[in-house]
Amino acid sequence: MRPAEPAAGLEREEARVAWRLVLPALGTIVLVALFPLMWTLWESVHLHDLRMPWLGRPFVGVDNYLEALRDPRFWSALAHTLLFTVTSVGLELGLGLGLALAMNRGFRGRGVVRAAVLIPWAIPTVVSALLWRFMFDGQTGIANAVLVNLGVLRAPHVWFIHAWSAWVPVILADVWKTTPFVALLLLAGLQNIDPSLYEAARIDGAGAWRQFRYVTLPLLAPAILVALIFRTLDAFRVFDLIYVLTGGGPGTSTEPLALYTFNALLQNLRFGYGSALSVIVFGITFALALLYIRLLGADLVGGKR
Amino acid sequence: MHVRVRGLREWALLLLGAGAGCGRAAPTGLIEVTFPGSVVGAEGTVLRRQLGRFMASHPGIRVVQRETPDAADQRHQLYVQWLNAGASDPDILQLDVVWTPEFAAAGWILPLDRFSPDTAAFFPATLAANRWRDSLFALPWFVDVGMLYWRTDLAAAPPATFDQLDSIAQRARAERGLPYGLVWQGARYEGLVTTFLEYLGGYGGRILDGNRVVVGSGAGLAALTKMEDELYRLGIVPPAALTWHEEETRFAFQNGQAAFMRNWPYAYGLMQDSSSSAVAGRFAVAPMPATADGAPTAALGGSQLAVNRNSEHPEAAWAVIDFLTEPEQMRERAGVVGQFPTRVALYDDPGLAASLGIPPAEARRVIERAVPRPVTPVYTQLSEILQIHLHRALTRQEEPADALAAAQGEMQRLLDRAGLGAGASGATR
Repeated sequence: MRPAEPAAGLEREEARVAWRLVLPALGTIVLVALFPLMWTLWESVHLHDLRMPWLGRPFVGVDNYLEALRDPRFWSALAHTLLFTVTSVGLELGLGLGLALAMNRGFRGRGVVRAAVLIPWAIPTVVSALLWRFMFDGQTGIANAVLVNLGVLRAPHVWFIHAWSAWVPVILADVWKTTPFVALLLLAGLQNIDPSLYEAARIDGAGAWRQFRYVTLPLLAPAILVALIFRTLDAFRVFDLIYVLTGGGPGTSTEPLALYTFNALLQNLRFGYGSALSVIVFGITFALALLYIRLLGADLVGGKR
Repeated sequence: MHVRVRGLREWALLLLGAGAGCGRAAPTGLIEVTFPGSVVGAEGTVLRRQLGRFMASHPGIRVVQRETPDAADQRHQLYVQWLNAGASDPDILQLDVVWTPEFAAAGWILPLDRFSPDTAAFFPATLAANRWRDSLFALPWFVDVGMLYWRTDLAAAPPATFDQLDSIAQRARAERGLPYGLVWQGARYEGLVTTFLEYLGGYGGRILDGNRVVVGSGAGLAALTKMEDELYRLGIVPPAALTWHEEETRFAFQNGQAAFMRNWPYAYGLMQDSSSSAVAGRFAVAPMPATADGAPTAALGGSQLAVNRNSEHPEAAWAVIDFLTEPEQMRERAGVVGQFPTRVALYDDPGLAASLGIPPAEARRVIERAVPRPVTPVYTQLSEILQIHLHRALTRQEEPADALAAAQGEMQRLLDRAGLGAGASGATR
């Protein structure tokens, strides 16, 4: 039977304190996330060419966006990005699942294997990109030496001057580097599955495949989705790997969106157009993230039963 | 972006000033000017020595070196951010030859005519590259030219035409077992454009004619087709060269794998070292070949010195430039870092023969063939378009004619967008 007044006052006081406490965090978010985003949006509706300062900085509405949509190089960069994302993430997921299943079994030296598998992930992307570039060098690369010795190739192949073959080292390098990451994520998921479920399935007469299909996969789904989110968003913004490995060549046939944007923004110093490209990339990745979160959220709710 | 850069820059200056314990205007009346450039290696040493001599002979001026990246792209980006923010520091700018028109059109550098430089003493092409709207905006410091390296043990004389070059190269491959006939820089970068420019000049073509892009002309097609033929039909240029920069071509030539190489002068001294070079004493340089329709052409490169328009001490900045481009300083640079002087008279100077790796007469023959790349404020962007289409044509993703037509269209649209296209007059300052 306490009087209402002081309690409400206390609550208000607490709320005030709470706001004051989160203010620095909110301020930081506004400063480092919201402000640059708004600035980029603002730039993207202006003509701002640092290399053509005589044009001034007029407001141009959606002209920068229209220029991007009319530019075949933009569309091919988008296509390259999608090709890279689908292929590399698909391979990483498949291989990563295999690796995770293997590492989930009890065997001698399991700890060492789990640590060793992370080595490619630990190497900086630029370094591993250089490694793969040397391996696929037309003159001195080990890839040509092995393939010629095995009789697969009759003569050394110059990988980086054909549109299709320049993708081979790019995809391989990405798969080599990030499969371990996917494998470890999935391994964590596998270890959360109650072993008694497999026992029950065995008693019900389920074979290895049925156990995998009806026990492992459904229970691993949240982990798979998490891995997919991380990898898709990362792959969609691929930059350093391709910048070092092919530079987007031959011509522009391995150029992803991020490299095209970098080129407009930092090589040509076209801040307006480059910002419009950045906003487009942001929009696509944001939509992808939302889609995944919806899928993941639904699955988690479903998983609770 | 540019607001943030300005902020950072000012903070940096404040900190620098506080750290060094001195502002821009020293109390003693000493004028301070800043000079950005390499502070490492032999180049840094020779520059420090020369600036030291300058200060000894000009006691009222103090020159402070600012460290800037050696990589041209990064230096360019830094300059643009500084100048766009209206910084008065650095006072002196060291420009790549293709940047002068860009910086001049942007109003970032001072016309030098008021200092009445001794223009008659320099190679005309090196000055032409530094003129914009009839004013001279930078003084050529040293010059770089594309040249043909040829093997004196495989031919009696350098080839005068592309066809002669091709047949000597084919013979060297067939009879001497050389893996490559000719090597040039074919990766998708500025080097590819300079190589193409030399073929183009040899066929009598050009990239720009005033405000009009004319690279898609018959000469352009003939030049690009020649390059493609040398790659695939004649097989004298290895397809791997489409991923090569200067150093990969030098390694191939230096190991005795190629009969000819297109490269800059820097390779000459390195390949005369018999401890690492298989061709030491067995090669010479000449102008690139040509056809009857054109003339031997050398792409012009090199470094220029200019004065920041916002400099507080333009006279002192000019005094530094004037000093660094004196014959004595150029001769010293040639000896230490092997860079070609831009003054014609120095090539008759016996002192230069001793300090320069290449016989001065041979060097001069090539420099007289030098042609500036298109002198336009948007050169870098034009070059990027050309690089992409040349590379697509040479990697057989586009037919040469289609590639050049597409490049010409895109380049013309860029000029129009920049207000520099046909019909444009006083769009720039």
